[in-house]
Amino acid sequence: MSIFEYNGSALVSMVGKNCFAIASDRRLGVQLQTIATDFQRISKIHDRVFLGLSGLATDAQTLYQRLVFRHKLYQVREERDMKPVTFANLVSALLYEKRFGPYFCQPVIAGLGDEDKPFICTMDSIGAKELAKDFVVAGTASESLYGACESMFKEDMEPEELFETVSQALLSSVDRDCLSGWGGHVYVVTPTEVKERILKGRMD
Amino acid sequence: MSRRYDSRTTIFSPEGRLYQVEYAMEAIGNAGSAIGILSKDGVVLVGEKKVTSKLLQTSTSTEKMYKIDDHVACAVAGIMSDANILINTARVQAQRYTYAYQEPMPVEQLVQSLCDTKQGYTQFGGLRPFGVSFLFAGWDKNYGFQLYMSDPSGNYSGWKAAAIGANNQAAQSMLKQDYKDDITREEAVQLALKVLSKTMDSTSLTSEKLELAEVFLTPSGNAKYQVCSPDSLSKLLVKFGVTQPATEAS
Repeated sequence: MSIFEYNGSALVSMVGKNCFAIASDRRLGVQLQTIATDFQRISKIHDRVFLGLSGLATDAQTLYQRLVFRHKLYQVREERDMKPVTFANLVSALLYEKRFGPYFCQPVIAGLGDEDKPFICTMDSIGAKELAKDFVVAGTASESLYGACESMFKEDMEPEELFETVSQALLSSVDRDCLSGWGGHVYVVTPTEVKERILKGRMD
Repeated sequence: MSRRYDSRTTIFSPEGRLYQVEYAMEAIGNAGSAIGILSKDGVVLVGEKKVTSKLLQTSTSTEKMYKIDDHVACAVAGIMSDANILINTARVQAQRYTYAYQEPMPVEQLVQSLCDTKQGYTQFGGLRPFGVSFLFAGWDKNYGFQLYMSDPSGNYSGWKAAAIGANNQAAQSMLKQDYKDDITREEAVQLALKVLSKTMDSTSLTSEKLELAEVFLTPSGNAKYQVCSPDSLSKLLVKFGVTQPATEAS
């Protein structure tokens, strides 16, 4: 089994009308055994930037801690929060630093940039950025997620419809992947508020 | 008198003094003053802006107060360029601690580690000491709200109220008279503004010449550092009756 499939994960992020959604599954496993059903894969960097990390959980935790370090320093020095594009560049740089001994993670970054324009991107484990206008996916369920998102996605969805679409795409994809699932965790972010919801799916 | 002993930081004078450190403190005595007051529900920092000119480009950033981490801030007096280096060091140290232990760095430990850096410049390297004094204001879960003062020698101690910079002795004695142990944050702001208005050299007090910042707990229980906006500061000055010229102050 590949090291990227050791813990199991599913991440998806979609762009809507002046909003974005980022969602993950909740399973943490050690190969085929499920260890936790409430694992947090998505973290808030600040009110307008969210980071999801799929792949090996220990690397995801360490990478997240290093990013908090860098972001906090940025915040006190520049007296403002990092823009999503800047943050994505930082993640990419940190990952490439370990080019020959990488973090076994695939990040998904989602945020609201200037003029509240939604920004999403993903990258591979050594920092190759993939910007997309519609959706990005990561994790062991990524192939199913690609198919589900491609068929369900529509442009300029309002937050409520975006939530429904992301949830359906996530739940139907993790059901086809034995290593991810046990519910879902969805964040829908608009310029004014962040709505966090837990999904109940097939608990297997 | 003992000029032959003062050119190197790393040697004592015959009387057992470190002249370079004392000269550094002289430099601070000419800088804009800053006052810190510890209250039951927060720590108040007030600073006097020495450099005021119509030509200065005003920006939102502060001149005297700096945030080190979410729960710690500092006020500076002395050579600004030296202060910038130390503030950056403090910020990185705070983040390194948080990275290692996944919790905010206790205030005293932060002050201590910064003072250890300052002490290094008085004992080895042949470099001059930093010409900065700090007032650190912070909160941690072990000791609550704290106020520390540190000087170029690397000494620090905790205070209930302290002053650094120009006229700091006058300010310190005024604080000694008027400080009460159970002072509230609002009373502390009032006391700080009153003391600063009396010790400042300028004839009139406006919000352009001052900076006010507080460290307190939000309702959700997190420590927060907030700088007072110039408008709110003007209102406070009027409210506490300190906008009159210093000669007319009661």
